[in-house]
Amino acid sequence: MFPVINWNLVSLEVLMSIILVGLTVLDIVLPKNTQKDWLGLLSFIALLGLIAFWLTQGALRGVTFSGMFVMDPLAWFFKAFFLVVMVFIFAMTREFFKSLGERRNEFYLLLWLALIGMCLIASSADFLMLFISIEVLTISLYVMTAYLKTDKLSIEAGMKYLILGSLAAGFFLYGISFLYGAAHSTHFGVIEYFCRTHAMSSMTLFALVLIFAAVSFKAAAVPFNLWVADVYQGAPTPVTALLSVGSKAAGFVVLMRLFFFVFNAWHPQWSLVLAILSAITMTYGNLIAMFQTNIKRLLGYSSVAHAGYLLMGLAAGTALGAAGINYYLLGYLFTNLAAFMVIVVFSMAAGSDAIADYAGLSRRSGILALGLLLALVSLAGIPPLAGFFGKFILLMAVIKSGYVWLALIAAANIVVSFYYYLMVARRVYVDPPAADAAPVVVAQGLRLLLIFAMAGIIAIGIFQGPFFNAALTAIK
Amino acid sequence: MTPDLSWIFLSPLLGLILVALVPPERTCLIRRISAVATLVPFVLSVWAYAAYDHAAGGFQFVQSVPWVLPLGISYHLGIDGINSLLIVLLGAVSFTAVLISSSIKERIKEYYILLLITILGTYGAFLSLDIFFFYFFHEVAAVPVFLMIAIWGSEKREYAAMKLTLYLAAGAAVALVGLLALYLASGVQTFDLVALQAQLARHPIPIGVQNWIFPLIVVGFGITLTLWPFYTWAPVGYGEAPTAVSMLHAGVLKKLGAYAIIRFAIQLMPQAAHVWMPFIAALAVANIIHCGLVALTQRDLKYLLGYSSCSHMGYILLGLACFNTMGINGVVYLMFAHGIMAALAFALTGFVETQTKTRDLDEWGGITKYMPFVGTCFIMAALASAGVPGFANFVAEILVLLGAWDQYRWYTVWAVFGLVITAIYLMKAIRLGFQGPPRPQFASLTDARTTVDKLPYALLLALLILTGCLPTVILSHIQTSTRVIVESMR
Repeated sequence: MFPVINWNLVSLEVLMSIILVGLTVLDIVLPKNTQKDWLGLLSFIALLGLIAFWLTQGALRGVTFSGMFVMDPLAWFFKAFFLVVMVFIFAMTREFFKSLGERRNEFYLLLWLALIGMCLIASSADFLMLFISIEVLTISLYVMTAYLKTDKLSIEAGMKYLILGSLAAGFFLYGISFLYGAAHSTHFGVIEYFCRTHAMSSMTLFALVLIFAAVSFKAAAVPFNLWVADVYQGAPTPVTALLSVGSKAAGFVVLMRLFFFVFNAWHPQWSLVLAILSAITMTYGNLIAMFQTNIKRLLGYSSVAHAGYLLMGLAAGTALGAAGINYYLLGYLFTNLAAFMVIVVFSMAAGSDAIADYAGLSRRSGILALGLLLALVSLAGIPPLAGFFGKFILLMAVIKSGYVWLALIAAANIVVSFYYYLMVARRVYVDPPAADAAPVVVAQGLRLLLIFAMAGIIAIGIFQGPFFNAALTAIK
Repeated sequence: MTPDLSWIFLSPLLGLILVALVPPERTCLIRRISAVATLVPFVLSVWAYAAYDHAAGGFQFVQSVPWVLPLGISYHLGIDGINSLLIVLLGAVSFTAVLISSSIKERIKEYYILLLITILGTYGAFLSLDIFFFYFFHEVAAVPVFLMIAIWGSEKREYAAMKLTLYLAAGAAVALVGLLALYLASGVQTFDLVALQAQLARHPIPIGVQNWIFPLIVVGFGITLTLWPFYTWAPVGYGEAPTAVSMLHAGVLKKLGAYAIIRFAIQLMPQAAHVWMPFIAALAVANIIHCGLVALTQRDLKYLLGYSSCSHMGYILLGLACFNTMGINGVVYLMFAHGIMAALAFALTGFVETQTKTRDLDEWGGITKYMPFVGTCFIMAALASAGVPGFANFVAEILVLLGAWDQYRWYTVWAVFGLVITAIYLMKAIRLGFQGPPRPQFASLTDARTTVDKLPYALLLALLILTGCLPTVILSHIQTSTRVIVESMR
């Protein structure tokens, strides 16, 4: 009997593939010398359409492709998440590549490919499927990271990302093969059954460690976080934004699926390991972030620190922890993307990412300064902004699971992070601008999007109820 | 008709939105909006205080809206004898702080927005009967205070701003862990203070668990209250901050720490309080004596007042450790009295500093000769601070000392000695800065002449004298609530 494919479940991916193909054709057909950014514009409209479509698909449930593709609330939540992320990324890309001319069209296609990869990751229910989806995302990111062909830093970033990414992929496959050896399947359901019926052996432990290490590459957590600072700095800023929000969220959706579902029965064995890794990750990220002078590097280490906070939710291993991760990522989306939008606009105007050049930004552009301030304060986890409540839930989750020491380490880390976020805020608001500094002009579209992101930061911070319910429903 | 508590913190919010919409050049309008936005909650607070029914007791004018149901978080406002007094304190201090901010001449719009956010957060924290929202509002003030000190402060402002913020953040983070542990250990999924009080009175948390949660909360919020040895942020913070921030922080914001300790630590975990508070009492004496002695060596008046403020927090901590009605009454009374006194003293110092461009007492000489009104007001504030009868501080400190006498005899002796130290450094300050030889270069200085200039100082001074001479206005009020707390500790 042939397996019946339920095309409804994959409607989003199918639509996106059609759009991708359509845009590719359009790119070939369009006259080469056109100045108008047709692909960017169409992509933007298509994304908004897809979001509208996806919001009506909240009740989609089921499994297809012989159980390799699953559609559940978690997948729905994260696909919606990725779509919103992409709205911001496309807007930033249009701004960032104004000077690049036709080469930006290929960039848009790569962004679509990355989006498809992320959506497939959220729906993977089989290790092979997961591996392929991760590679779809990662390979497009390799290319995009090294996209600025004349910029040494960009090439270096692409190279580093490629080498470490390949290593991670190798680890991943190696881990899967061990798991296959034990459970005789790569399917999540089968392995989940195997975990319930078998104790953890040294072989499966080894597999688990390898798989975690590989996924931590996406999540930017210890031990696979060494690429972060250089790649964040060198990559074109929209790609950095995508890495820090989209790619990280993709890493966490995988971790959540694996550790809350597949390996859930072994929770007592791995939870302590994750707690320790979480503590190391956040401490490492925060301590090194203190000494950064480049804003993209600073956000890179801060992104490592945030991966550490997020791992607290995994270590807790409870529904509360999972809801905390979802909520945190939701706040992180608006927060980090607001920061990166400011960075894109500022670097286009000032030609620099050095924190010192942000001096007196509040007198050069009120909205950029406010956007950056809100983002930094939210990253620091101060109410009434989005970052606070996410940390609040995660702390609650780890204390509930008995890791009071982890909560205290996190508390100490939060204080350390205050220091470097406030140092940037101080530059922006306190220091006088350089004598020759001109006001920074923000294009109308980006200004609207920045206001939208700021509204998101505040709304998620104050009206926690509906967002928390959404985060909670996603893991049911 | 009863006062609507939501409007108390919504009016500064409304005010700051209006200020944000006004173009920055319209400074006069901005100042007026801010004054109204703080006067309205002040009036509402006094009204709520007057309308509070002592006989009935408990929490009144309650408003409750479920906010995050699965976690038991609700928007829950209400007042009892304690926080109704503290919102009056905040009302008086915030209104005067806005009035004396007319000395700010740069970036006026940003200044008032940040000031109003601070005031709004503090009101929210005092009014919230939900632990989550208490913490939420209490932290709202963190960034505005940082920016205000860093932008409008004096010489070492950036260092001071960072130090103050990091200390307070550390305290808040530790306290948060404690509060979350308390929430989880209580066994009822709620952050609602009233529900927690009811639950924990019947089923206390096991003493072993209480014993590690309690110090987290007390030390965490103790940092806000300048608990020895975590007080070093305060003198430098207050010293370098713009006057309005010193007033608000020394007068009101640090009292949030004491308020939280009473409400969340002592009342909800009385068994652990009996174990831990004797140690806190010892630290309180260290506060009184050590900070007092350091204050003796200061020549910068703002630093002197900062150390003095840390020293006086020792009395609050000592009173908290008493477990009797008199002690706790004294604590609440002192929170009010010290708040008004500190705000007054910082406001006057700021007034003189703006004109003389220095805070060095040796240079001031006999400033009273050229500024009779301001000088006299400062001398009266100093007398109040030293515990001279007739001012509110006297009543409060006597209550604390009497409350402490039975349990901590030696500590009380030291605390009385601390009053002597207070008297010495304040008299010294008056002799050096206010009644010394007049400096001719200050002959052209102007005193507070118009009614508007005098209003903030007169208002605070009047409150100090009124509550000093008529203690029952406050005592009969706070007793209804402190009695409940003391009973829960038996």
